[in-house]
Amino acid sequence: MRRFLFTIGYKTLSAINQMGDMAIMLISALSWAFIPPLRIRNIFKQMEFIGVKSIFIVILTGLFTGGVLALQSYYAFRKFGGESLLGATVALSMTRELGPVLTALMVTGRAGSAIAAELGTMRVTEQIDALAVMAINPVKYLVVPRIIAGILVVPILTVIDDFVGIVGGYIIGVGLLKINPGIFMAKMIEMVELSDIFNGLFKSVCFGLLLTLIGCYKGYHTRGGAEGVGRATTEAVVVSSVSILVGDYILTSLLF
Amino acid sequence: MIKLVDLHKSFNKLKVLDGINLEINKGEIIVIIGRSGGGKSVLLKHIIGLIRPDAGHVFIDDVDITQLKEKDIYKIRRRFGMLFQDAALFDSMTVGQNIAFPLAEHTDLSKKEIAQIVAGKLADVGLSGIEDKYPSELSGGMKKRVGLARAIAMDPEIILFDEPTTGLDPIMTAAIDELILGIQRRLNLTCVVISHDIQSTFKIANKIAMLYKGKIIETGDPESFRNSENPIVQGFLQGIPEDKIISS
Repeated sequence: MRRFLFTIGYKTLSAINQMGDMAIMLISALSWAFIPPLRIRNIFKQMEFIGVKSIFIVILTGLFTGGVLALQSYYAFRKFGGESLLGATVALSMTRELGPVLTALMVTGRAGSAIAAELGTMRVTEQIDALAVMAINPVKYLVVPRIIAGILVVPILTVIDDFVGIVGGYIIGVGLLKINPGIFMAKMIEMVELSDIFNGLFKSVCFGLLLTLIGCYKGYHTRGGAEGVGRATTEAVVVSSVSILVGDYILTSLLF
Repeated sequence: MIKLVDLHKSFNKLKVLDGINLEINKGEIIVIIGRSGGGKSVLLKHIIGLIRPDAGHVFIDDVDITQLKEKDIYKIRRRFGMLFQDAALFDSMTVGQNIAFPLAEHTDLSKKEIAQIVAGKLADVGLSGIEDKYPSELSGGMKKRVGLARAIAMDPEIILFDEPTTGLDPIMTAAIDELILGIQRRLNLTCVVISHDIQSTFKIANKIAMLYKGKIIETGDPESFRNSENPIVQGFLQGIPEDKIISS
């Protein structure tokens, strides 16, 4: 029993410790972000890696999520004759909830893991120390561009995901389930407010920050060779995904 | 030039450095020897401010770097070069980009001037014309030589070597030793080498220090070191395990 309590205490303390370390890394990144040289090229390179290369999976995710959402809602709505609300339901779900969350989760799987693996390898092969020895701050050189890229790119991907999701819902709703296209669009335009979209995008900015920060943190503090890199990568994905889902709940309860 | 005063460092209650005192003069090649995992790398990283001590001071020309802020340490570091154990070349960059990196970051030189310096530094380490290769295409010895070229790119005053000959064949080991000696003489550098390679140590060192259980137990020139009466030093030089020394 004592051992059990000890383990819980130890895990809790180390989790709090890590959160503190992450906050310190974020503050350090913020303080370096505005000191020249700004390394715009590095930021663009990361935007390409995190953003451009994620477009395809984001489109796939959006298309099928929108589609399945239309399909499921249709069967529920049909029971009380509310099929006309299908467009609005798909659009609201996508912009407020599924767009930001699913995009962030997909980007975590693709780019968050890669960030942790890359920085982790640089750590265990002493490349991060080499940067510091050459009088180049590793946080500024490695972490700042990735976080900025994450903050800029995840909302853009979310917009794409939202749009493609609605297209997916339209294809299924209008094309397959034969809902009147006029009603589909009209109800959607009537019920979706601009604030729904903006709040969703605000969430995705937070998620972009979270997933790049956690990826960088886990990679930056990797220990123990190839095994350590593997562990850092897994932890980055798990911690980011959970943080995104928990953060989503907190943000939703605050925003809406 | 470099002075370590009563340096202490522990990791998770494990004492790695336990009161290190050491003085390193300008233009000297000092080799710090000791067993693997004995804290030699940790000591080296203290000299360049990568690790902060729990207690004690590191003076670089009378400036105590343990008291400096991060940003001021970066200024001091420009006077250093370091060759890492596995060279620590950036694998996303070519050899040329690796060597050019500190120059592009810290100087206003044109691309052409940088390319000339890179070619010169590669010639210094005997590897002309490999600018466009990637580190993954190089052998261990070549990587170390490129690492050395990168370390001297900014014409530093002090170079730190983290086990420069570990894992190399005898011929490459001899070549690296010659390279260290040659570069030190030509540029009048101060070199701090950590090593457990006895043969190399005696070939290149002006001064040797032995690190044992977190303390420097002996310092001196190679001759006095060879004649040391300390059984631990003799045991290390002759490769006799500690328990046998103690029992004899």
